[in-house]
Amino acid sequence: MRKMALIAAVLGLAMPTYSHAEDVVLKFWDNQQTESGLSQYQQEAVKSFEAENPDIKVEVTTVPYPEYQQRLLTAVQGGNAPDVSTIDQIWVAAFAAAGVIEPLDELAASAKISADTFFPGAWASANYDGRLWGIPFNVDVWQFSFYNEDLLKAAAIDPASLATFEGLKAAGEKLTDEAAGKYGIGLFAHKGEDTVVVMDSFIFSNGGKVLNEDGSCGLTSDASVEALAYLQSLAPYAPKGIANASSGDMRELFLNGSLAVEFWPALEQPTLQKSALNWDFVVGTAPEGKTPIGTFGGWNLVVYSDSPHKEAAWKFIQFLTREDVNGKVVDLIPANVEAADAFLRANRTGPERILEHLDNAAPRPLSPRYLEVSDIQVTLAQDVFAGMDPKEAAEKACAAIDALG
Amino acid sequence: MHKRNRWLAWVFLVPAMIPVAILMYYPMVGTAIESFYSTSFINPNPQFVGLELYRELFASGEFGTIVWNSCIWTVFVVLFQNLFGFAVALLLDRELPTSGLMRSLVLLPWVLPGVVAAILWRFMYDPQLGLINSFLVRIGLSGGGQAWLAEPATAMGAAIVAAIWKGFPFSTIVYLAALQNVDREQVEAATIDGAGAWRRLIHVVIPSMREVIVINLVLTTMLTFNYFDMIWVLTRGGPQNATHIFPTKIYELGFGQFRFGEAATYGVFSILVLAVLLALYFLARSAGGRRSMARG
Repeated sequence: MRKMALIAAVLGLAMPTYSHAEDVVLKFWDNQQTESGLSQYQQEAVKSFEAENPDIKVEVTTVPYPEYQQRLLTAVQGGNAPDVSTIDQIWVAAFAAAGVIEPLDELAASAKISADTFFPGAWASANYDGRLWGIPFNVDVWQFSFYNEDLLKAAAIDPASLATFEGLKAAGEKLTDEAAGKYGIGLFAHKGEDTVVVMDSFIFSNGGKVLNEDGSCGLTSDASVEALAYLQSLAPYAPKGIANASSGDMRELFLNGSLAVEFWPALEQPTLQKSALNWDFVVGTAPEGKTPIGTFGGWNLVVYSDSPHKEAAWKFIQFLTREDVNGKVVDLIPANVEAADAFLRANRTGPERILEHLDNAAPRPLSPRYLEVSDIQVTLAQDVFAGMDPKEAAEKACAAIDALG
Repeated sequence: MHKRNRWLAWVFLVPAMIPVAILMYYPMVGTAIESFYSTSFINPNPQFVGLELYRELFASGEFGTIVWNSCIWTVFVVLFQNLFGFAVALLLDRELPTSGLMRSLVLLPWVLPGVVAAILWRFMYDPQLGLINSFLVRIGLSGGGQAWLAEPATAMGAAIVAAIWKGFPFSTIVYLAALQNVDREQVEAATIDGAGAWRRLIHVVIPSMREVIVINLVLTTMLTFNYFDMIWVLTRGGPQNATHIFPTKIYELGFGQFRFGEAATYGVFSILVLAVLLALYFLARSAGGRRSMARG
């Protein structure tokens, strides 16, 4: 026994001593939506974080957007969640209700991180059931109406008119020549979230709602049904096949000059900047005299409940959302307003207009069953574009939404 | 079998059975158990609800649509993949100078990754830019603008055509191998007896390929029933659920909406259908084996 103790003591003396305990290895997951070299930018930012925090090492995993939901969900369900990740704004309520992420109210309050730092809609999207569950990381807003300047000029259309319900419809009529393969407005209703956010922005801009304050369905209100009827009235000016078309399909037609107006978030600008088109955009569309309300999109940073490194994860979140860092680590628009301002001025056309639309945008319903609501809304869009009476289609959708409980 | 040999057989079998049980049967049993619980991502503490999820499933009109779509999809894809595969195999069975090249070319759709093939067909079906509409306009059969994948009336048919194209080479290869094993003496004897090409095919060739045909039918049925990529890329089950089949619905419920319990109920039905098909496959194989022994 004494011999063993002696050996242990000798070995202990022989071991080198380090100035700090074992490094924390923080696992961070994010998704990439554009070909912006995001992963490389994040790796560079991580180096400066590690320099500021020598006892923390960060492992960055960047997953392509289409695979992200499945891979993250599988990891979380399998007990292999990262320490910190981005999650889509529309998943926050479900992740919070599932108990897999940590509330961040106290931490945010003690670090003096508050709503003022971020766009109002982005901050709202991180709150559910009276608590804060994430910190806004990046944002964008649906929709901007990108237009082909040459086509509008040839048809003698004032681009500013696209911002009103009446003007957009009139422009669609003038710009559409089906026999010549020319279309006015790029509508889409495939099974995808882009279908829902565009529909929401027309509903919001007309004063309607998807869910009421009490959680019941708001799609049968006059304002919502009117917006649906308006969207239906635009169908003759859209390329054929709305029910299976996506924003990506409309982009193809816009880029080859067959389509005059496409709906996209500001994320579309890098693609258009590389094209030979003369393009510009207006911010959303609303009835005459009303302000267009966009639908917020974007991602929030969350800390997982199973993480053994919550403190380090929180430090990393604070770092990523800092004004001097946020713009360097996102491929949408930084959620930090100051960082967004600098980012938009450096990288986007019409930064003031984008900022204005971001300020006015509203988040999608904050419900733990949002993904089911969204699926019902896709069916609603397909019903409306298939010619179903909008009121009847809205009643069918509301029956399904209210049945979710 | 001697008792010692029986033990020895088990010794060799068990190392293979353990990973099979863990990787295949455990998830299947787990899925069946999960279908008796109300469980979703937001309800991480599963509640036993017995057959409630099945009751809800039958009560929803959607289940009937999925079953109907799955039947239409499977029957037509399997039927035409086999017919087309057999016809092409008959053509390739001839000794022509280009036979080798043709046999390689015919495999092309099958070796393409499923997602790539589906994207290719999505482009071809595009109402504005697609090759199919452009071809139909050129030959005067259409005025253009037909949205094949966006109309509930045509979406399933369009997906079926794409799946037939993707999968028929598998049947071609299977049938070509079987054709080359047909007893040439029997064919020659029928020719000498005055049988024409059609009668030789119906009365000599096809009967001698019967087991292979049955096995290929069962295999292609299983592959088609589970075929996910084509429909997911083409339509994601839309428009208005016109092309939703079991695998796309299970994926949508489980990974798209985090509704694991309901996804499991669809999964159980899927497993039951596949179990029946698997039983048919083994029956066909054992019947084939008995016939071979009787002949041999």
